[in-house]
Amino acid sequence: MIREKYIKRVKELNVNIVQTEVKSVGKKDITKVGYRVYDNGYIGVGGAVGDVDEKQLEKRALDNLNLKIPYPYKPSENLVKEVDYREKTPSDEEFVTEIEELLSILRKEFPEFVFSNKIHLSEFETRLANDVGLNLVHKDRFVMSELIIKEKTSINVIDAFAGYVDRIYNKDKFLQTIRDTLNAYKNPVKLPHEGKMPVVFMDNDILPFTKLIEELDGYKVGTGASLFKDYIGHKKFNDNFTLLQSTQREDLTSFEFFDAEGTVNEDFKYTLIENGKIISPYTDKKTAHQFNLPLTGSASCEYDMVPTLSPRNFKVVPSHKTLKELLDGQMAVVVSIAAGGDFTDEGVFGTPVQLAFLTDGEKLIGRLPELSLSGELYSMFGQDYIGKSKDKPFLDQRFLALNLDVRYL
Amino acid sequence: MFIFPKNLYTDVRIENVCLNQIAYRNGELLQSLNRNQKGAFIRIFDGHRWYYSSTTNMDRIQEEIDKLALMAKENEDILDNPIVKKFEVNKGEYLYFKDKDISNVKYEDKLQLLKSYFPIIENVEDIKMWRAIYIDRKIIKEFYSSKGAELKFDYQTCGIALRYGLNVDGKTFNGKYDKTSTSFDDLKGLEENIKEIIERDIEFVKHAKPIKPGKYTVVFSPTATGVFTHESFGHKSEADFMIGDETMMKEWAIGKKVGADNLSIVDTGDILGSGFVPFDDEGTKSRKTYLIKDGLLSGRLHSIITAESLNEDLTGNARAVNFEYEPIVRMTTTYIEPGEKTKEELISEIKEGILIVDVNHGSGMSTFTIAPSISYMIRDGKIAEPVNISVISGNVMETLYEIDGISKEMEIVTFTLGGCGKMDQFPLPVGMGGPYIRVNNVNVQ
Repeated sequence: MIREKYIKRVKELNVNIVQTEVKSVGKKDITKVGYRVYDNGYIGVGGAVGDVDEKQLEKRALDNLNLKIPYPYKPSENLVKEVDYREKTPSDEEFVTEIEELLSILRKEFPEFVFSNKIHLSEFETRLANDVGLNLVHKDRFVMSELIIKEKTSINVIDAFAGYVDRIYNKDKFLQTIRDTLNAYKNPVKLPHEGKMPVVFMDNDILPFTKLIEELDGYKVGTGASLFKDYIGHKKFNDNFTLLQSTQREDLTSFEFFDAEGTVNEDFKYTLIENGKIISPYTDKKTAHQFNLPLTGSASCEYDMVPTLSPRNFKVVPSHKTLKELLDGQMAVVVSIAAGGDFTDEGVFGTPVQLAFLTDGEKLIGRLPELSLSGELYSMFGQDYIGKSKDKPFLDQRFLALNLDVRYL
Repeated sequence: MFIFPKNLYTDVRIENVCLNQIAYRNGELLQSLNRNQKGAFIRIFDGHRWYYSSTTNMDRIQEEIDKLALMAKENEDILDNPIVKKFEVNKGEYLYFKDKDISNVKYEDKLQLLKSYFPIIENVEDIKMWRAIYIDRKIIKEFYSSKGAELKFDYQTCGIALRYGLNVDGKTFNGKYDKTSTSFDDLKGLEENIKEIIERDIEFVKHAKPIKPGKYTVVFSPTATGVFTHESFGHKSEADFMIGDETMMKEWAIGKKVGADNLSIVDTGDILGSGFVPFDDEGTKSRKTYLIKDGLLSGRLHSIITAESLNEDLTGNARAVNFEYEPIVRMTTTYIEPGEKTKEELISEIKEGILIVDVNHGSGMSTFTIAPSISYMIRDGKIAEPVNISVISGNVMETLYEIDGISKEMEIVTFTLGGCGKMDQFPLPVGMGGPYIRVNNVNVQ
């Protein structure tokens, strides 16, 4: 019998902002422990939050083992690795003061707007260790926010937002993102024309990828339920489109460098689509074994559950061009808020865009009216794919550019 | 029970959660979870700022209270603070499910019930992958405050969720079936219903064609009505977006006409199901709140802070997704009240339109969206061919006037998996629903 522990600790400071004022300060320090036992091709898992006796946890896992959940795969072994990506951040007290200073600047600089939502200082430590030599530890810390911005004279709940994710707190960078957003917001502009034109999505926006992610599920591909079931090894997309599962330091915000089964990819990445060719769906151990697919390290689970297949940290490889070079003299729509869009089962894409800006690739020029976007999966990442920028021209983001059909809503 | 610090307002919320989940994929056991966890959320208010923390160590609640008190500033007038005055002081035990506790149903019975539905799915050749999930959740909450609140109450739900991937002649489709209740017995005998849904989905995927984009008259099923109501108007009724905002207060003045004359929208925590909330997470008792009554804006959803700020009555809508989070204004069960027409009458009066039967998801800001999963054309007053639609959308405030027909049939729906998301709190169980409604000029893509 092999025993394994999966421990997740989260420490968080939350500064809650209402009407551009700090209204509450909250702290959290929660440890969740999962205990796994593997025996005769089965897995048992027990778990608890907070302080708990290890014998008690083991008993829960052994009881769960009796339910005979199949797991005829070797747990990861003989790998010891610890990363500590934490960087220096302010103390809790200093952080609250920093946020108060930020808000003071915003009140003076943008009196016609109000700002709300939380700013988090979030630290996590995840450990996966077993008695066959596995000991993986990931420590990380982020300052994160999606600041909601509302124009005082507006009847909308949300008019704009400004995001921030970084391992350090840089007030000037956050302010620059807010300034980029609001200076463009205050300048209403029109589309150069309706119809097909370049549209750019922020690097962390998964909306255009939702169908790709759904159909690259290894179990769906293996059972024949995926659109891509006959296309593994086939070139279906643009030469310049390469999609990775990445746990490289610069690509991580909330994931660990290892998955919930302890799989660590070489160079912390696995290529799923390379230059338009579908190389592999994403898999966990069970899916890889059952359908004879490569193991890509895509298992996730809550602390007290059996690891299962789920998408993890997809990244498009950037091109060698700036956004301006990619757009090649054309204007583009920047998608800032697009809630509610989706693909149909056969891959037709449609979404409203509640907040869009116009860009020349170097700066945000102005705010567009509400729009609707439409496209089709194979075209979006095929003939209509333009590329991902190597630079971050504004909003502290790289951008993914596609040609889509753009209309006023 | 606790020693509350002087000259500060304090409350403590303790949650005892029992969660069971059994999941199968293509006939193989994937998960069998029995989670029992206890946690507490502690808040202190000094009249100026709130301080809070969460802990899983029940022995250290007093220590957490004392630590938070050190961050706050003593305020001798705290009991006269209008926010503190607004808190209800409810006491007593309200254990609705004591005699029908879902935790007392044997594991074997839950397992057998779930497995009894497998043959229905396994016998369908076009289903290439499937998952079957049984889930139940029992929560006992306690709430104590320095004003004297001492509450203990419970709620529970159980459900069956089926998810399946169809591949019919090369065309793929993701199908689903959900049944949620507060009683285990309600999950029995679903065979015919499941068969009907699967057969419907196979016919849909065989014949569905892409929609021609444009503006249509759309009939929403109770599920679609529920999602529309929740996303489009429910979130706008959450009063935390209005605090200190003169523009919003003018725009959302009570009594203002906001929709069709026969339109009434309600939120209440009293309906058994995912949105059953007898007391909210500030100890406020649930009540029925009309958000719109006969087309006029009639109310909004409140926490203590928003009710005090807007000088309105409490509604019992301060909810937290779990003990790790602070209560914020959330919906409970939100629905449109039924009307006079039948579903058939609504459809028969349409020359060309769309019937939305089921949905994948929705969203709502100034523009609402719904991503339908099952839709049909309506031609010459009759349901016609199935159509694939990626998203429908419209301006919320304009669309409320575009509702020109409401059916007498209505249904409250609750989703077995998932829930409502707001800020960093997801998924919160909610109920939603209503009648069939007919809406003109909806943008369809």
